[in-house]
This record gives sequence, structure tokens and C-alpha cells, in this order.
Amino acid sequence: MIPTVWLASYPKSGNTWFRILVANLWSKLDTPININLIHSTDSIASGRNQFDRQTLIDSALLTNDEIDRLRPASYAYAAAGNTLADPDDPCFPVRFVKVHDAYIRNDFGEALLGGAAGGAGAILFVRDPRDVAASFAHHMRCPIDMAIDRMADANFCFAAATDRVDRQFRQRLLSWSGFTRSWLDQRDIPVHLVRYEDLLSDTAATARAALAFAGIEPDPVQLDRAIAFASIGELQRQEAQHGFREAPRDVRGFFRRGVAGGWRDELHPHQIARIERDHGPMMDRLGYDRSTVITEQRL
Amino acid sequence: MFSYRVSGLAVASEVDLPGLIPGDPDRAPEVTIRNAPVPFALDDPEMVGPTWQRAGDRFLLRIPDIARFLLEDGRSIAFEAENGADPQDVAVFLSGSVFGVLLHQRNQIVLHASAVLVGGKAVLFCGASGAGKSTLAAALGKQGYPLIADDQCAIEIGDDGIPMIQADGRQLRLWEKSISELGLAERRGDAMRNRLLKFYVDPAASSERPVPIGAVYALTEIRHPDEPGIERPNIVDATKLLTVNAYRPMLIHRFAQRDVYFRGGTTIAATSGIFRLKRRLGFDGLPATIAMLRGHWTQIGLAEAAS
Repeated sequence: MIPTVWLASYPKSGNTWFRILVANLWSKLDTPININLIHSTDSIASGRNQFDRQTLIDSALLTNDEIDRLRPASYAYAAAGNTLADPDDPCFPVRFVKVHDAYIRNDFGEALLGGAAGGAGAILFVRDPRDVAASFAHHMRCPIDMAIDRMADANFCFAAATDRVDRQFRQRLLSWSGFTRSWLDQRDIPVHLVRYEDLLSDTAATARAALAFAGIEPDPVQLDRAIAFASIGELQRQEAQHGFREAPRDVRGFFRRGVAGGWRDELHPHQIARIERDHGPMMDRLGYDRSTVITEQRL
Repeated sequence: MFSYRVSGLAVASEVDLPGLIPGDPDRAPEVTIRNAPVPFALDDPEMVGPTWQRAGDRFLLRIPDIARFLLEDGRSIAFEAENGADPQDVAVFLSGSVFGVLLHQRNQIVLHASAVLVGGKAVLFCGASGAGKSTLAAALGKQGYPLIADDQCAIEIGDDGIPMIQADGRQLRLWEKSISELGLAERRGDAMRNRLLKFYVDPAASSERPVPIGAVYALTEIRHPDEPGIERPNIVDATKLLTVNAYRPMLIHRFAQRDVYFRGGTTIAATSGIFRLKRRLGFDGLPATIAMLRGHWTQIGLAEAAS
């Protein structure tokens, strides 16, 4: 059976970059794959269309809580390889599925993502929250202070509006710290941690370790080629030419800077202090040095 | 018993199904819907999904805390409500999701699409939930194009090889946001479920007769800087486009319908035309999309050029 591995992240932490890298690794083309045709990894776990296809239910007529009760079974069904039984589905060595939901339970107490039945493991992408803040603000077209508010909000959700239908289900992200903690501390499935900064500074070694966790040993030449094909310059070039379908509507420049430490010239001191106050313990846990005086208790 | 006509089929139902057009009570029903005990599982199922099972010509669908539905041979639906579910909640799934599965079980081509009448022919807009099918049909309704169907379109290829759509006269089903953006508050009917902000909306005009298909558009969202436009894919891609826009594509494989869809697709592509409608999603772009469609209808002979 083809294993399912979640690609879990708070937004703007390298998840899409990794998916495009993998898609290039598995591509037979000698040019970079089209970023709007990434067939080699599943679309996001919260996608409505695949749920409706598998359950045969019009989810637009279900409430968010009713959907959450059915999500574990739909993930277990897909992970068991049932959706791959369709002749038109492509087959790849691992079924990678992106997810922005925190690792939470539904109101029946079941793991939303189906626990061990929904996935064999997870690669968790994290990024310095100070860099996430600036990128997230751009992503949501809001001031940086509002992005910082949302990153501290334990009730923050994507796609929670009830007066329209979204192509994605409601996703509870929790706070930035809460999201990361939910994945690191759950005991249902093994987790491999990838720091965006490490993926940037030594892409080959970091990607190789993450792929090894998923049971993949890439050819070094092909991996180098995939890394080059997924460079920030290439991603920006394609987005400028045709846009990026996975970007929020009206956001230009999904692939914005692709750097580490950009917060030093993008954030005001009070914003830096606020993020470090909100998320200090988790920053410490992940090895992100704080620039302001530590007043919180260490984890 | 209540009588309805759904996708051209005479339906006799023990329960009221809002949003459907009444049928002729004297006509022998082709589908019966009754309230009866339904098991939680089928004996010896050959396929088991997250919410459904299939054993031969029996198909069981369960929507937890709403109802279980047993479809037999494409001719009868038995349902049993769960945990005292509101009958209205059971009814919306009966007339939507469950009937869609039944049409697949009957080996019919059924698309996830809305349809309006243009120059005496049906124009279909296909897409997944949230792609903008109903909103586009509603916006065209405001411009005087009668509604033929919303959400599901059952297609039959006549003996003369002409693809026809069974008019459904279903009401529009719109979210509150669309209703307010399109200025349709006066036509708003009941909520589909009492806990949802999705409502039945009376179309300004509707067509109740089967009509030949004039064009099928697959709704495709584009992003800046891609430009809106209408493309005609080659016949192979057009057929694939039809298959992925089936009401429940997974059932094509499960019910061995590939051949039916393939032949239907080639016929529709050759006689009516299957197109990709590329446009930005959102209410702001609707007038431009409608203008583009009108131009296309003139070009393909569905409408006369504006004088």
C-alpha cells in the first residue's frame, strides 16, 4: 500500500515549496513542472471536492461540525488506497497530503485526520514566527499587527464563513504555538520536524532527511535538479506569468521573498517583542533565538 | 403519496420533498421513495466507502445523525432517519445527493451542473461545489434566461443522436452572500436546512420541457495575470472534462459507466460543443463573464448577434 504522509504546517512555512520540490523530483520532464499542475501530491486535506467525491454527500449542506465528524473516515478511506483504485489516478511512491489544520479532535473525540488510519506519519514544517508574521500579513492582505493577532488567537480558523461555500472546509489552526504543539505532542503518528531555515540553508540535506522519513531515497542528481527547478526565482517567474491557483484570490506574490531573517527589516521592535512574548516558549523549543529579554518560564 | 418529476423520472414519495416540481399522480412511478427500516450494513458488500456500501444492485448511503438510505436497482429508495433528525434535513439529502447516486445507478449521464435556456437550447455550467454554477445561472436568470436545472443535470442521448437534458425545474439553491450580491432577496424562499444560510430561490422563469443541449461549459477559475476566455478542447480532453464533471465521478468507475460517459462525451462534444470557460471567480467579474458568453453564443449560433 502507498503510505500517506501529511505535510503539516502553519501557513507560510515552506509546505508548498516542498511539495513543488517533490513534484519536480518525480517529474519526467527536463523542465520545471508547472506550479499549477502539481499532480504528484494530493491537494490540501481540507479540500471540499475530494470529500464530496468520496462520501457521495453534498458537504455544502452539512454544518462544519457535521463535516468534522465525517472527516476521519474520509481520510482513512483515502489512506487505505481506495481512491487510487480509479484507473485515472496517478501512482507515486508516497501520497503526500498538505494540511493546515492543527492536530485536533472532533466533537466525537476522534482525531480529525483519522489518527494512524489517516496517515503513516507527518512532516511538520515550522518557520521563525517573526518571519511568518510578515509573510502571513501579505498572504491575508492585512497589517502585520493583525497577522500577529491571528497568530496568537487560539480560535483562529480558515474558511469559517457560513454565508457562502468555500472550496475548503473550516480549518482550525489554533495559535501559531498551539498549532505546532498540537502536532509535536500528539502520539498517534510519528512526526519529522523540518525548519524552514534549515531547508533554505542546506536544501539537499534537509530535503533528503525529510524524504528518508517518508521512505524515499532520491537519486542525488535528480534531487539537485528538483531543487533547482523549485528555486524561489523559478516559482516567482511562473507566478508572474500565469498566477498561482493555490494562492488566496487577489494576492499577488504568493512566492514573496523566500528568505530567513527578513523580520529584522520588516518588523517594528514592538512587533518583535509581541511575537516573542506570545510564542517565546515554543520558539525556545524549536531553537529560534529571542532578541528580547526572556520573561516567560521555559518549557 | 407525493408525486414529483425529477430529471425526467416520475417519482412517488411518502414524504414531501421541497424544491422539486410536482409530477403527474396518474403516471406510474419509475422511482418510489418510502420511509422504512434500513440496515447499517449490507450483506457481502463488494465495495465499502467511508459512508456507503454496494452489494450488487443494492447501494447503502449513510449520513450520520441524518439518515440511512437504501437504493435498490435504481428504482426505489428507502430511508430511515437517525436520532430524530428533522424531516426537512432528510428531504434535502434525498432530493440532492441521494437522487444523484440513483441516477448513476440507473446508468444515466448526470453532470454536476446548472443549466439555463438560450435560444431554445440548454447551456450547462459544470463545476464542483463552490465553482459558481448556481450563481452564474442566477445572474443569467436576472438577464432573462430561464432556469432549466440547478446542481444536477441528467442527460439522455436520443435515438436521433441528439443529446437532451431533462429539465428539472428545480429551484435555485443559493447562499446568502450570493442572494445579497445578486439582489435576489425578494425571491428568497425557505432555508434548505434550518441551520444553514443556504436558501431556495425562485427563478424568474424556468423551463420544464426536455431540451437539446446547446453547449456545455466547464467552469475554470483563473488567477492574475491569466486572461479570461473560452476554449474548445480537443475531443479526447472534452470527454475527460465531461467525466470529471460527472455528479459523482467515483461512481463512474464503481458502476462501470466509463463507456457510457465516453460515448456521451464524444457525442456532446461533436453535436453541442464542450468548452472551458476561464474566468476569475467573484461577483465583480460576472457582468464581463456574461458579456463573454453572449458573444460566444452568437459565434456558435445559439443567439443572434445584437443589432
